[in-house]
Amino acid sequence: MARTFRLWQKKRGGRRTGSRLAGSVGEAVFFGILFLLGAISLTAVITSQAMNPTPEIYRPGFGFWLMVLVMASFALIGGSGVVWTAVCAGTSAERRSALVKHATGMELISDAMPTSLEFPNVPRDTFLTNSPGVKLKYRLPTEQSNIWRLGLSALIFLVSTGVTSVLIVIVVNEYLAGTTDWFLTLFTVPLIVVNMWAVRYFFSELRSQTRFGPTCIEISNHPLHPNSECEIFVSQAGRLSLKSLVLSLVCEEEATYSQGTDIRTETRVVSRQEVLRQESTRIEDGAPLECHGTLAVPERVMHSMQSGHNAIRWKLTIVGKSERSGTMRRSFPVIVYPAVPQQQNDASHGR
Amino acid sequence: MEPLLSLQIAEPRRIYQPGDELECECQIDAVEAHEIQAVETSVLWYTEGKGDEDLGVHYFARRVPSDSEDRDLRPMHRFTTTLPNSPLSYSGKIVKVRWCARVRLFLKKGKELYLEQPFTLGNVATAQDAPS
Repeated sequence: MARTFRLWQKKRGGRRTGSRLAGSVGEAVFFGILFLLGAISLTAVITSQAMNPTPEIYRPGFGFWLMVLVMASFALIGGSGVVWTAVCAGTSAERRSALVKHATGMELISDAMPTSLEFPNVPRDTFLTNSPGVKLKYRLPTEQSNIWRLGLSALIFLVSTGVTSVLIVIVVNEYLAGTTDWFLTLFTVPLIVVNMWAVRYFFSELRSQTRFGPTCIEISNHPLHPNSECEIFVSQAGRLSLKSLVLSLVCEEEATYSQGTDIRTETRVVSRQEVLRQESTRIEDGAPLECHGTLAVPERVMHSMQSGHNAIRWKLTIVGKSERSGTMRRSFPVIVYPAVPQQQNDASHGR
Repeated sequence: MEPLLSLQIAEPRRIYQPGDELECECQIDAVEAHEIQAVETSVLWYTEGKGDEDLGVHYFARRVPSDSEDRDLRPMHRFTTTLPNSPLSYSGKIVKVRWCARVRLFLKKGKELYLEQPFTLGNVATAQDAPS
């Protein structure tokens, strides 16, 4: 704790290098001033209208109503800030966390929470077990991040192509009419360059998404547990020659942290275990590559975990290296639950 | 003189499994009884590492002088709790999960002191960097 007052302090995530008391007082003063400013101004605006009504200012626009909206938001933000600062200053972090835990323990809320009460901070696996498989019990969904990237690149491609085409038509027409607008022409040139980049990026994304056919992974048991095994089935469709196709069980840590005003996320792979490998394979249309195997979860590994800023994620990743089409990388999340002690396991079976 | 806080975990090895009962004893000394505003005891986990800190309380109790017959919170106080199934203690590369028992003393002057004793929940191996 700082012994002396310092004007400038470092803030490391939720932690501060300066005095907590001084910080809380500063926050309370800031929000208090904001509340007073909003409340007094709002009262003055409304009182002046009540005493000297001028009906024309009630028309929608940027006058009276905007003033009311801004002043009301100042009062609301300031009031909430003062209350929140008072709550934080008077209670310990443990007490606040206990209050949150008590709230999430309520039946209606706990059902909507992403983790169960029996296994706190372990994500639920409902979204992974709602799709039955053909060969095995569950068909795992894939991570959707690549589809979003393709959608975004398609949007940029369409917008930039539309705008650039219209500008090119205008510039060409003006040139043919002999009334060239040089400013518009100079403005169009960088747009054409940007559009070329957007076209190239969109088609490279489209190619990377479609050159490999769909991958399907089915699993006989879920959730997984440390030191346990289950059957796994992989199907890879398409029409391509593969140098190798490798399926691995991967565990990665994910940490989210504040750096200045940015929020950054870092991931680190801490476990990678090969489950299946196929070398030099040719896949034909209508005859997908199909592999069966056994997925073994190592002993004494960390379970899946999700908290506010930190996570442990498990997933099956499939990496296919093609003769001509480059590399395919797809991920299928899985949940690893903690190993349940034997006596608890027996008790739950006995129920 | 600073008030003295004492917190003892019953199991000397401090290694527990989910479902085990954790038993702790806490005691306060070198402070007058009337100076104590409240004592909070908790069993909690928190994260360390690259990410911002997360904290989850498993057990929490707050005692104020009126909770005690003689309005004295200094004598030894024992509390127990059954440990949960997760999250287990973990030493990862950028994420670490630590468990501890904590006692926090609030004095009437506004001063606040705390003491914590770490323990291990579960038997998870330390993480190694995986080959890419």
